Amino acid sequence: MSDNMAHVEREGDAYDIDELLGAYALDAVDDDERARVEDYLEINPRAAEEVRQHREVATMLAFTGMDAPEGVWSRIEEEIEASAPEPGPELAMVFALDRPDPSAPAPVSTLATERASRRAPVWLLGAAAALALFVAGAVLVTAISDNGRSDPLRDAYAAAESDRDSVRTELVAEGSEAVAIGLIDQDGHGYLDASALPPLDSALTYQLWGVIADNGDVVSLGILGRTPELETFTVESEVAALAVTIEQSPGVISDGNPDGAFVGTF
Amino acid sequence: MKHDVSEMSDGALAVAIGRYQQAALAEAYRRHAGAVFGLARRLLTDHARAEEIVQEVFVRLWNEPDRFDPDRGTLRSFLLANAHGRSVDLIRSEASRRRREERESAQTADAGYDIAREVWDMALAGHVRDAMEVLHDGERAAIELAYFGGLTYREVAEQLGDAEGTVKSRIRSGLKKLRAELTNSGITVGSGAE
Repeated sequence: MSDNMAHVEREGDAYDIDELLGAYALDAVDDDERARVEDYLEINPRAAEEVRQHREVATMLAFTGMDAPEGVWSRIEEEIEASAPEPGPELAMVFALDRPDPSAPAPVSTLATERASRRAPVWLLGAAAALALFVAGAVLVTAISDNGRSDPLRDAYAAAESDRDSVRTELVAEGSEAVAIGLIDQDGHGYLDASALPPLDSALTYQLWGVIADNGDVVSLGILGRTPELETFTVESEVAALAVTIEQSPGVISDGNPDGAFVGTF
Repeated sequence: MKHDVSEMSDGALAVAIGRYQQAALAEAYRRHAGAVFGLARRLLTDHARAEEIVQEVFVRLWNEPDRFDPDRGTLRSFLLANAHGRSVDLIRSEASRRRREERESAQTADAGYDIAREVWDMALAGHVRDAMEVLHDGERAAIELAYFGGLTYREVAEQLGDAEGTVKSRIRSGLKKLRAELTNSGITVGSGAE
């Protein structure tokens, strides 16, 4: 017998709690009663469904047809952007290689060294930079199920891959055999096939970053989760490189990327 | 490939929000912030604090999207329940209560607790009004005071001079009647997952 059930039966008050369900759904109970009801709901699906229905009725009553308040959305944007994870110092050193200032000293980093050895020739970077790609921000989408059926997103990825105007890069990391494929078409639609990346512990998440070609800024392109597959993003300014890092989930500020970054340049 | 969030169901929006798609949160805001704001303002009788509730509710959705379970109700219901709970918390703090009572003492005469007037401008206002008509006065008053007044059922009982058990039963029976009446009118009341 669960503690919750024991609690309810010991009190012998199932009927009384049932009578409280309406008031509970309207937040019209005190704290002790709320706790009792919530214990009860955990063991009584019928009661939980009743509460759900009461709340839906309340939803109907609450609707006033009012417009969203002006100015609040911009405050929400500021708040959620302020809490967005920033690249750790190790990743920043990696990306520093792509900054446009050629006189800037290259940082000493094993990741940077690894990445430098794999980076594309300068002429290719220049060609990639000529594409007008636009970074839109974090735009991660639904992963594709690999069930063998025709999938519009997989089809779009294949079409972009065969388009001569698309740019493609392989994202690799030191000490890992896994490779992620980054692809951006001429309209700024980006794809990341991250299905080869190893699953992470539940406390971690992969995160996709882009390096703005004009100024070297590193922007987050989205959270990939712990088991990414084929993901999409949208870019609205020129991008010189992509990277995938391992961060604390969900989106906490990271002190670094001790597990390494998968990096690919265009 | 860009996904048109305006065509997403609320359930799909919630999934997208869970994947940090800001456009999905913006769409959820566009759809539901007005209702959230309206409810919070009604409860708090304070425009600025109602805006704070709106901001808090949507930022919380962004930070903790897993708290929304589509199997347990609609996104709108979830957001409104959050806004209601947070507003009630504020109301029940002693300082908030004092301020509110001062405001209400000047406003009760022309504001009152009139659900029908509150929802007159919604598309379903007629159905809601009709549904409210099936409640007897005690049920209607108990629901209005509890939901829009932010009172506990005990406080409602005290205010109405009724027994506590009577009031909690009236709230429950009234909500059931409302649901049945709205359903009979052809209105889907929170069919669950969207």
